[in-house]
Amino acid sequence: MQDQTKLVSEIYSIIQNYLEDKSVNIKSDTPLVGSSNIDSMKLVELCLSLEEKATEYEFQFDWTSSSAMSKSRGMFRTVGSLTDEFLRQMKLQK
Amino acid sequence: MIIVTGASKGLGRAICERLISKKIDVFGVARNCENISFPSMQCDVSSYEQVQSVAKKLKKENKKISGLINAAGIDIMNLAVITPQDVSQKIIHTNLLGTIYCCQQFGVLMLRNKTGSIINFSSIAVSLGIKGESIYAASKAGVEGFTKAFSREMADFNINVNCIAPGPINTELLKGISQDQKNKIISQQIIQKQFTPDHVSDLVEILLDSKSNSLSGQVLHVGGV
Repeated sequence: MQDQTKLVSEIYSIIQNYLEDKSVNIKSDTPLVGSSNIDSMKLVELCLSLEEKATEYEFQFDWTSSSAMSKSRGMFRTVGSLTDEFLRQMKLQK
Repeated sequence: MIIVTGASKGLGRAICERLISKKIDVFGVARNCENISFPSMQCDVSSYEQVQSVAKKLKKENKKISGLINAAGIDIMNLAVITPQDVSQKIIHTNLLGTIYCCQQFGVLMLRNKTGSIINFSSIAVSLGIKGESIYAASKAGVEGFTKAFSREMADFNINVNCIAPGPINTELLKGISQDQKNKIISQQIIQKQFTPDHVSDLVEILLDSKSNSLSGQVLHVGGV
């Protein structure tokens, strides 16, 4: 549980780095896609950073597969949904 | 490393051989890899899952992808009104969706490097509206439209996306077309001569070279139209 809290904090920190306004206090319901918080280029860069984080945790974060994309609206909708998808893929592969 | 689709024959094969002769690492993608003597993987580009498998393998192997050449394509000359549904679907799936799938999956592998060149293939059939090539021309017009929009999406990542549109080139793709028919098409080019896979490979080399970094979203017509 402590490990997951640490990982969530790391994911939030990564997301924070790509927000337009880095002073925003991000929460689970902070909107991503469709908001002014992040543009499409930063979103892709965020996904590449999450890929690297996943490698650190010895799994592959897939943000382009059909299964991931079919949930894309949900996945990229908020900080919480992206974090949940990251954790879901980690659990599936471990 | 440069990924080349349609690597087993035709233009794709000629491009592979040219790049290899220049000591450039090539990874071939083809439906049949039996006669390919360089690194390659079997893949039908019209299958999203198969393209994804190739991308996953290259990602796992940490290959640095600096270029993608989408040369895989099919053509079946026929009047649109007598073309069976499955043939129409096959042409669109391979030529248009295959190009899109490869750009999506392999493009992601290139994003991280923030440099690279993607070359798609259109055809003179789009500009001339060649009779008997309606569905093929539609698939290639789609490739041109995709190239233009995709080039804007990739520009933020310093990746250039262009399109080469050859006229009639003697490859297996055109084996069912008579020389007379080819000559009629060639007579409508600005430079009225038949070009070869070598000329196309020259353009590929230019587009892969950093000297062409100012070009993106362009359709280069071999022979001019």
